[in-house]
Amino acid sequence: MDAIEIQDLYKSYDGLSVLRGLDLRVPQGSVYGLLGPNGSGKSTLIHLLLGFLRPNRGTLRVLGQHDLALVRGRIGYLPERLRYHLHYTGREYLRYLGQFSDMAGPQLARRVADELDAVGLSAAADRRLATYSKGMLQRLGIAQALLATPDMLLIDEPTSGLDPAGQREILDLLGELRQRGHTIFLATHFLDEIDLLCDTVGILYDGRLAEQIDVPTLRAPGRSALLKLAHITPELQAQLAQLSPAVRSSGREIALQPNTPALQAQVLRALLDANVPIISLEPQSRPLEEIYMRVVRGEPGDQALEQAPPGMFVPPGHPDALAAAPPARRSNGDTLLRELLGRPDGEAGPPDSEQAKK
Amino acid sequence: MARSLSRTLRFTIFTLVEYTRSGRILVELAATTIFFYIFLRRWTSAPPPNYFFSTVALFELALSFYTSASIMALGDRPQGYLILARRVGRNGYLLGLYLAVLAIAVALYGLISLATALYNPVAGLTLAGWLAGTTPLLLNVALLSALLALMAPMVLPASARLTVLALIAVAFSGSLIGGQTLAGLPGPLVAVLSVLRTIFSTPLLPAFTGFELALSRDYSGLALAIPLAQFSLTLGLLALALYAFARREIIFSGA
Repeated sequence: MDAIEIQDLYKSYDGLSVLRGLDLRVPQGSVYGLLGPNGSGKSTLIHLLLGFLRPNRGTLRVLGQHDLALVRGRIGYLPERLRYHLHYTGREYLRYLGQFSDMAGPQLARRVADELDAVGLSAAADRRLATYSKGMLQRLGIAQALLATPDMLLIDEPTSGLDPAGQREILDLLGELRQRGHTIFLATHFLDEIDLLCDTVGILYDGRLAEQIDVPTLRAPGRSALLKLAHITPELQAQLAQLSPAVRSSGREIALQPNTPALQAQVLRALLDANVPIISLEPQSRPLEEIYMRVVRGEPGDQALEQAPPGMFVPPGHPDALAAAPPARRSNGDTLLRELLGRPDGEAGPPDSEQAKK
Repeated sequence: MARSLSRTLRFTIFTLVEYTRSGRILVELAATTIFFYIFLRRWTSAPPPNYFFSTVALFELALSFYTSASIMALGDRPQGYLILARRVGRNGYLLGLYLAVLAIAVALYGLISLATALYNPVAGLTLAGWLAGTTPLLLNVALLSALLALMAPMVLPASARLTVLALIAVAFSGSLIGGQTLAGLPGPLVAVLSVLRTIFSTPLLPAFTGFELALSRDYSGLALAIPLAQFSLTLGLLALALYAFARREIIFSGA
């Protein structure tokens, strides 16, 4: 059973369409990131999932139920805006919220203490929320979302408005939740949150799911990488240049373009053998950012770039070319794209939404 | 059912604590003190029961109007999403706010009664007489609070609120439009207005007769039906408010 099943969902406010035929599924136990620009309908979707809003059309099932009142209390919700009842202390507030979820007595007291401890607020538990920083309030938000041990978490823009240290804290906490196997639906417009936390990312644009991508496929080495070194000798530069035409040296920098795991390993081995201190190794492109920007700019997709493993993009003579290249097929005028994707005739071209979702 | 009631009562307490700690209760306390000082402090002789119940009834209605508006506004804030996402649900949420208004109104009434009994006892008013006058008086407060819960922006959309207000205006048109103005209107319009006024003022009868009962404290004949009618109308308005809120899209607007 999927934790969230949405089919052909429409929602508009005062005649303004926000969601227009949204289809989306979130498997239980997964971390799903919904990416989209401000105003794209991410918060609206979360409010629909919580039953605060009602769809104009389409079906929506949460934890197997169409009647969302039946799943009330089984969902932990972390809202975008840090709006809490500030006249309570952290402990009092969690205790009341626990009571609203039918918790009571020593079990409630223990859960409150555990969650305050988990988010690092034990020391501030008896201070009024009005004295909390934004980061502390957001941590309290995570504690309250987890208090009733929900089956699923709906998290809306968790790091919005926080300073970098606060963002780091929240991402670390969410990372721990991910490790614990929670089903999480995370709406955000920060790519880093998706990169760090999610199994799958959907890009919400123009009221629909414009793309859906498995995040691990984006975590392969960047298609190009830049190595910064403390120093490099001309001999070593020449040695590296012999590895592949994809290796280009310039001063104390070495560019690998296109990059592959095998080439990267060879270059690093050569540098380590020569005792060259490496200052940094950075990818020069971010696939998710590229896909996101393409979607919001309305540009056609480049499925080959999005889905093919890095080893496919190798120039002649590249060390990966022999290992990674598929066996030659009989060509009848297919495009390179069709060849690379290994598709039969007539299927190449820009990805349609259905293909992109798979 | 018991759990649902327990959650609602917990939320009522939560709202009351929030209301008190935020300092909003000071307005009610200040108003009550001023009211007591002006109207119930001993000046010359002990006040008669009619005077006590009439002044306190009007003050309580005015005060519960303010408290209802304040507490409904407190509920109409984004903070409410966290509570609605829990098992309290929409019914428990609205009922909790309503009960908080009632709790404040009843507590302040108790305070006024106690202060009056201590500093300026009402002439000839026994405990039984006090209870006889208090019952319809507080039922009127409950009735008004239920109407205001229904009229809260988070419960009814603006168009529906305007419609209810228009109906209330028609019901009161006899008092609002003077005799001369009424005489100047065309005959058929006066007749239609009269019929509408009769129809729409009928639901207000329990409130008016309840006020009279608080003053007279005379439960002979069918007078016992008055508190029952007040209670039934209160339940009806509450049910309508819960029905409307259950179907409303929740977009909290308050800061």
